[in-house]
Amino acid sequence: MKISLSWLKQYIDLDISTSELVDTLNNIGLMVDDWEENENDTILDIETYANRPDTLGHLGVARELAVALGRPLKEQSWPLIELNEKTSDLINIKILDEDLCPRYCGIIVRGVHVGPSPYWLREKIKAIGLSPINNVVDVTNYVLFSTAQPIHAFDLDKLTGRKIIVCKAKKSESLISLEGDTLALSSDMLVIADEVKPVALAGVIGGQETSVSNETQDVFIESAYFDPVSVRKTSKKLGIKTEASYRFERGADESFPPQAALMAASILTQMGGKATKGILDIYSEPRKPKTIVLRNHRVAGLLGLEIQEEFIEETLSKLGFQIERTQKGVWQVKSPPFRVDVEREADLIEEIVRFYGYDKIPAKLPPFETLEPALSPKRKAFHKLRQILFHYGFDEVVNFSFVNEEKEAKLQSGRKPIEVRNPVSSKASILRTTLIGGLLENISWNLNRGAEGVHVFETGNVYFWQNDSCTEQCMLALATTGRVGTAHWQSRNEETDFFRLKGACEAFMNYLRYDPYIFREEDHTYFEPGHSLSLHFKGEPVGFMGLVRRDILDSYSIEDEVWAAEFKLEMLLEKQAKKFQYRPVTRFPGISRDISFIASQEVTYQKIKAAVEKCSIPYLNQFYIYDRFSGPSIPKGKVSLSLRFVFCHPQRTLLAEEVDALQERIIKTLKAEFNFQLREGGKIDK
Amino acid sequence: MKELKNKIEKYKTQFNREITLIQDKKGLQELRNLFLSRKKGYVSLLFEDFKTLKPEERPEAGKIINELKEYVQTKLQVLQEEFSTAKKVEKTYDLTLPGKDVYLGSPHPIVHFQQEIEQIFLTMGFAIEEGPEIETDYYNFEALNFPQHHPARDDWDTLYIKDDLLLRTHTSPVQIRVMEKKKPPIRIIIPGKVFRKETPDPTHLPMFFQVEGLVIDVGITFAHLKGTLEYFLKALFNENIKIRFRPSFFPFTEPSAEVDIECTVCDGKNEDCRVCGGSGWIEILGAGMVDPQVLKNVNIDPEKHSGFAFGMGIDRTAMFAFQISDMRNFYENDLRFIRQVLRK
Ligand SMILES: [Zn+2]
Repeated sequence: MKISLSWLKQYIDLDISTSELVDTLNNIGLMVDDWEENENDTILDIETYANRPDTLGHLGVARELAVALGRPLKEQSWPLIELNEKTSDLINIKILDEDLCPRYCGIIVRGVHVGPSPYWLREKIKAIGLSPINNVVDVTNYVLFSTAQPIHAFDLDKLTGRKIIVCKAKKSESLISLEGDTLALSSDMLVIADEVKPVALAGVIGGQETSVSNETQDVFIESAYFDPVSVRKTSKKLGIKTEASYRFERGADESFPPQAALMAASILTQMGGKATKGILDIYSEPRKPKTIVLRNHRVAGLLGLEIQEEFIEETLSKLGFQIERTQKGVWQVKSPPFRVDVEREADLIEEIVRFYGYDKIPAKLPPFETLEPALSPKRKAFHKLRQILFHYGFDEVVNFSFVNEEKEAKLQSGRKPIEVRNPVSSKASILRTTLIGGLLENISWNLNRGAEGVHVFETGNVYFWQNDSCTEQCMLALATTGRVGTAHWQSRNEETDFFRLKGACEAFMNYLRYDPYIFREEDHTYFEPGHSLSLHFKGEPVGFMGLVRRDILDSYSIEDEVWAAEFKLEMLLEKQAKKFQYRPVTRFPGISRDISFIASQEVTYQKIKAAVEKCSIPYLNQFYIYDRFSGPSIPKGKVSLSLRFVFCHPQRTLLAEEVDALQERIIKTLKAEFNFQLREGGKIDK
Repeated sequence: MKELKNKIEKYKTQFNREITLIQDKKGLQELRNLFLSRKKGYVSLLFEDFKTLKPEERPEAGKIINELKEYVQTKLQVLQEEFSTAKKVEKTYDLTLPGKDVYLGSPHPIVHFQQEIEQIFLTMGFAIEEGPEIETDYYNFEALNFPQHHPARDDWDTLYIKDDLLLRTHTSPVQIRVMEKKKPPIRIIIPGKVFRKETPDPTHLPMFFQVEGLVIDVGITFAHLKGTLEYFLKALFNENIKIRFRPSFFPFTEPSAEVDIECTVCDGKNEDCRVCGGSGWIEILGAGMVDPQVLKNVNIDPEKHSGFAFGMGIDRTAMFAFQISDMRNFYENDLRFIRQVLRK
């Protein structure tokens, strides 16, 4: 809020420098964001908080400063030039809904000559960044920015029947606002009506018809208290936010309406008008201040600091609180009506420490004993996983959770997307159902900026409807395309492929001791048919990897092949890893045997592996494929496979004859199972 | 003569044996001296013997002695060359060429910075908690003491899914979720993504990261809040950084504070400082003593237990720590940007 220094000086003597003033305000929580000095004034831009409506006027800020600087507030007096007519003779006020309007005051000023305001008032209005309009409007603004109490001026002659009725609007009623908009009212909105129609939206905006114009002779000044929630609901529903609604919805000072009405009337009479006798004040049930118990030991208990009782008493009473000591270290405190935010002991403690100074609180470390293992197994596994992926050359990315609905639909994640009701942009209107889209976006971005290859991973939530509830699931996704790193003078940098991606995935499964897991050839909507695998961990499907579909890549304008994978990370991290268990290392040398076959291309390595494992060959320590090729020397549709088998006996050296027999068994099995042809010395046996 | 021939044969055998044992130039010189030394070398000695022979025997004797001499000389010469080439390996490449580069992936700067923050709190005995990103109105607002129609909600521009369902605007709802499940003592941090209805610009995004802290125990005071945050900020920035606490307002803390650190870019001396706007201070954390109403909402007795909470934007703090002027850089995922975390 803009605060004018010269305006403040009407309430308090300020002979300190601007920087001193700014520091003082900052220290009590009225943060000065910025300030501007001109020839005859200094304008401070103060950050105000939703719980402090009392600081939304110059008087409120002056009140705070008076306590901080230990100075008195200047007395204000508002003399009136009065008529003999009583206000109640000229207008009739009725409140039909006292819950939403517990207090309504009014006074009439006759014979106002509507026209430009005097110089001093125009200057004040301009100082806070508004434009002067006419004397009546400027006075209402002046009262609002002085006291934080919004008031409204009606043209008395336009109030049919000279009646003010505060009530809920009737269905299908409407009101043309000051700004000329036709507002459709609903029956939950509080309005000010005259005998026939609504003339203002209570606490929000006045109506055009009854507003003050150049022809206006007599004005009726309204100064009331409206229920914060009611004002907020109406303002939200109609999308109208005004200086008045801003203050009422935060809570006005219920004790203040008569003073604000008096102040406005007084200024208007100084400009030539004459006020009716007496402020009409409808207030059937004055609010009683709540009593708060304040205990000195709680002050110390919450702040970690002893504050002297004299300071507590003095500060609170200067701030307008009624404080009464009931026993040693215990007080009964009543808040002033303008402090709607102070209702509890903790609120009072904040008041005390605000003026005592946050800087005087000592800094101590809490007495900490360890409560639980610092890092959960899940988090540990997560850190390790990232390290493995970094090792495999995957860069980590973080994408927005919002995505373009159209692009996301192309991916066909199979998860029902969640829409954001009020999205920031129509291109980011749903929550992502897969991480793959983001990674493709990153690939496209980086390739367009000259990257030779992109290898990225992301961990984060995807979101979708499951039955009728919103579900979020933490995923891991990887994508790889193009060359790895930059060219080295010894060798061209390697081109990525499916096995690089698979290697990274196998690595985290192995190094995180996730066992047993298995890949299956299985199609998925992200990938070209026949070009993807599913991963199963402990019998449950956890994700897919494969070659991303061409039409998807086209929609991201990616020409190169992209290999990608997506896993349910939560599921992986939550499962138990296999415990480390020592197996003795044999001291006897192993014997290895290489066997080369010609096989049909249909025979997958996984099938061969399963067949070998099924025979449970004794002493077979490990086996692996070390060569696979096809070409002119190999019949069409066939491949050459070379397998290495390593045999080991835990207690002794194996004999060549023993191994020969085992080897023979393997060959026999594989021949029978897959119709393999043994390859020896480059020849094919028949 | 026969005697001479035997001697030559014996010397040759000896030479052939000894030359295989030679390992260095020194040994080579010793063997050369043994056979070819002018005074006492075997060859010189043979020529002494030669003088005692009959004239008709001399031509043949001279021939065989010279044959031995040449044999020894040639063999030694070959070995000599072998030794010198071994010493001076032919240089075929340029040692100033760059070494093999193993391509390592880089952490994302935000995740990296988040982990630095986590690490500091882990050493202080905090545990890490997480919670859902899609929240109910109750956890995001109501339980945190934001009444249904309170204007304080306006400070948290919210993205909604349904009336009661929203994208969490802060990590604070996890405070409530943890306090509902666990009894004090509680000492946690909650890092995570949060969402606001903000149009992207250099300092605002609809999604960013926050870290929240919560300590609940018997006898926890504002002094402990100050001590904890001072320790944290000094560990994160530097031991000498200046820290300022000033009153503020959050519905879920009372008293509330805003924590500023001094601007290390200008030390508060540049009125046009891009980073602090000339104030010399940077707003870095919101904090306060947990509001008694919040404790009541989770059935913790505020008369028995007290606590503090704090929250910090990870992106904003990382921008300051790394001197990054546009927050959007974090989510463009340009690898030239990301990989700077990993290496120069
Ligand atoms: Zn600065």
